[in-house]
Amino acid sequence: MTRKILVVEDDAATAAYLAKGLGEAGYRVETCDNGRDGLFLASEGVFDLIVADRMLPGLDGLAMLGAIRAAGIAAPALILSALGTVDDRIDGLRAGADDYLCKPFSFGELSARVEALMRRAERPAGDGKPTRLTVGDLEIDLLARTVTRQGRPITLGAREYSILEYLARHAGQVVTRTMMLEKIWNYHFDPGSNVVDVHIGRLRRKLEDGFDSPILHTVRGAGYRLSPPA
Amino acid sequence: MRISFTARLALLAITLALLSSLASVFLIWTGIHNDAIAALRRDTVEQAQGLVAVYRHGGFPALSQAIDEARDPDDDTLILAVIDARGRLVMGVGPQVTTVQPIVKTPFAIAVPGSKPPWAHREAGFAIHRVGRYWLMTGRLLDDWEQEQRTIARVVGLSILLAIATGIVAGLLVTRFVGRRLTRIARVVERVGDGDFSRRVEIVADGRDAFDRLAQRLNAMLDRIELLVGELRAVTDSLAHDLRSPLARLRARAEAASLAEDPAQRDAALAGLLPETDSMMRTLTTLLEISRSAAMGRDRFVTIAPATLIAELAELYAPAIEEANMAFAVDIGEGVPPMPLHRELMSQALANLIDNALRHAAAGGALALRLARSPDGVRLTVADRGPGIEPADREEAVRRFGRLDRARSSPGAGLGLSLVEAVARLHGGRLALDDNHPGLAASIVLPPP
Repeated sequence: MTRKILVVEDDAATAAYLAKGLGEAGYRVETCDNGRDGLFLASEGVFDLIVADRMLPGLDGLAMLGAIRAAGIAAPALILSALGTVDDRIDGLRAGADDYLCKPFSFGELSARVEALMRRAERPAGDGKPTRLTVGDLEIDLLARTVTRQGRPITLGAREYSILEYLARHAGQVVTRTMMLEKIWNYHFDPGSNVVDVHIGRLRRKLEDGFDSPILHTVRGAGYRLSPPA
Repeated sequence: MRISFTARLALLAITLALLSSLASVFLIWTGIHNDAIAALRRDTVEQAQGLVAVYRHGGFPALSQAIDEARDPDDDTLILAVIDARGRLVMGVGPQVTTVQPIVKTPFAIAVPGSKPPWAHREAGFAIHRVGRYWLMTGRLLDDWEQEQRTIARVVGLSILLAIATGIVAGLLVTRFVGRRLTRIARVVERVGDGDFSRRVEIVADGRDAFDRLAQRLNAMLDRIELLVGELRAVTDSLAHDLRSPLARLRARAEAASLAEDPAQRDAALAGLLPETDSMMRTLTTLLEISRSAAMGRDRFVTIAPATLIAELAELYAPAIEEANMAFAVDIGEGVPPMPLHRELMSQALANLIDNALRHAAAGGALALRLARSPDGVRLTVADRGPGIEPADREEAVRRFGRLDRARSSPGAGLGLSLVEAVARLHGGRLALDDNHPGLAASIVLPPP
């Protein structure tokens, strides 16, 4: 079934860019250009995800989101905003957004976050917490916090383990550097250096050295993806 | 009609001064008052009416007889006199010529009756009634106690007048004083409102009175406003100035891409656009962060141990620092308790310092994160062994967009240290750049908790 996304964005060029990009990624997209229409459309409850600009005519993005949540619609929401400071991001997340992205953004970043939100929403609730994660020949025992690949144990540091666990929970998806900084380190600023890449590089060496196939892939211009070799 | 605040203040002061004086006058009056004078009055009135009745029945002979009978040779204070219209004594006892004028019917009065002893210098209570062509004056000189009472009553009356006068004067003075001090403050506020931010209220009493305290608060507020306005101006100026060149580069690349015939060349030119826009975005966000932090309240602070904050950051950066072939040391001193910090901004500020060290001091081969308590506060330090910054250049290094000439060739918009400084100031501290012998020790110095 095709998943539906509601885009609430008053800038026509950005809205068209989003509609085109998300359409090409296989989603059905509906757009509207103000908060009142957005609230009206979202109230139908047919959307799997809401992407909304923060500053909207009629009804502010965060206020619209509040009203949608009050109406009992639980679809995940991603807020886009030109306000890019650390506090703006944190405010947005506190106001009930599931994710927050600053304009201008790369499409790679947006689609990675959209996919992550979709995946999270689809994960059936009440399934109980999984005790193992498996990605191809890689196995993670979440209780013992041990990792094996092709049956051979791999020793990881605490941080390496938490990065791998995050990647494995999003196996097959692109995970961006900023997503990792936010979710793993809880930082909402953009460090100038390639700090995340270095962490990934170390993890990759442990996961791939001595094995014949890559498993932690670099997605150019976007981030990383943990997936079994094709 | 509404009266002005100053007038109301004056009225209030006057009323209060009056009320307090009147209260004390009233207390004195009730304290000394007894009915000696009232008794004298009663006696005088009764005696006068008795003698007037005698005159009506028997004329002057009967009156003369009655006066003689009422006389008491031992009592030289009694007045029992028949006087003519000009006050001269016709019959009986009393002053030869009375000084009481005009001579009209008087039920009771108190005055000095004559000009010669024993009638001078002492008041008498008396009544005057008409008897035929003459006037009958009866009464008695006041004794000592009655005389004192009179004096006190007069003093009390005077003091009421005085109270009214002082009340008015005090009211006017208070109003004038308050008005002058307030006007001085108002004038400064007015000037600042008109755009002259350099104006300050003069401190006249070394900050000891309430007006000076108000002036000091106001001056502190004006200092801050002036600083913020100045920073805002600096931000817009630097924006206009320093975003022009990356924009120009961006435009040149876009133009080159659109003109390129060869697809490979076009792709290369297009690929160059992304890092350029990314770096501009970073510059903008940092700039916004700086000006935001200058005006931010402290409501976003959380209480966190600086040691924890540094340890978390060290964990994030350790691999990158080792990758740059720098020895990495984390030195966390004792005795720094948890304190209110903006975790994100403080982390970002330290990250900027680490990034700077990675960028400019990698050749030095060492980088240290330190947390220490010093006499002037708590120091969070990033120290390297690189080329350092000359003392003369340090201020320039902190100035927004102020990149040192030596560093112009490497990427980064040069906002790093200004953000660090803004964050330090947000926490009530400062940025200190010191010599690391050799190298640079950049510290965020926070006030002691």
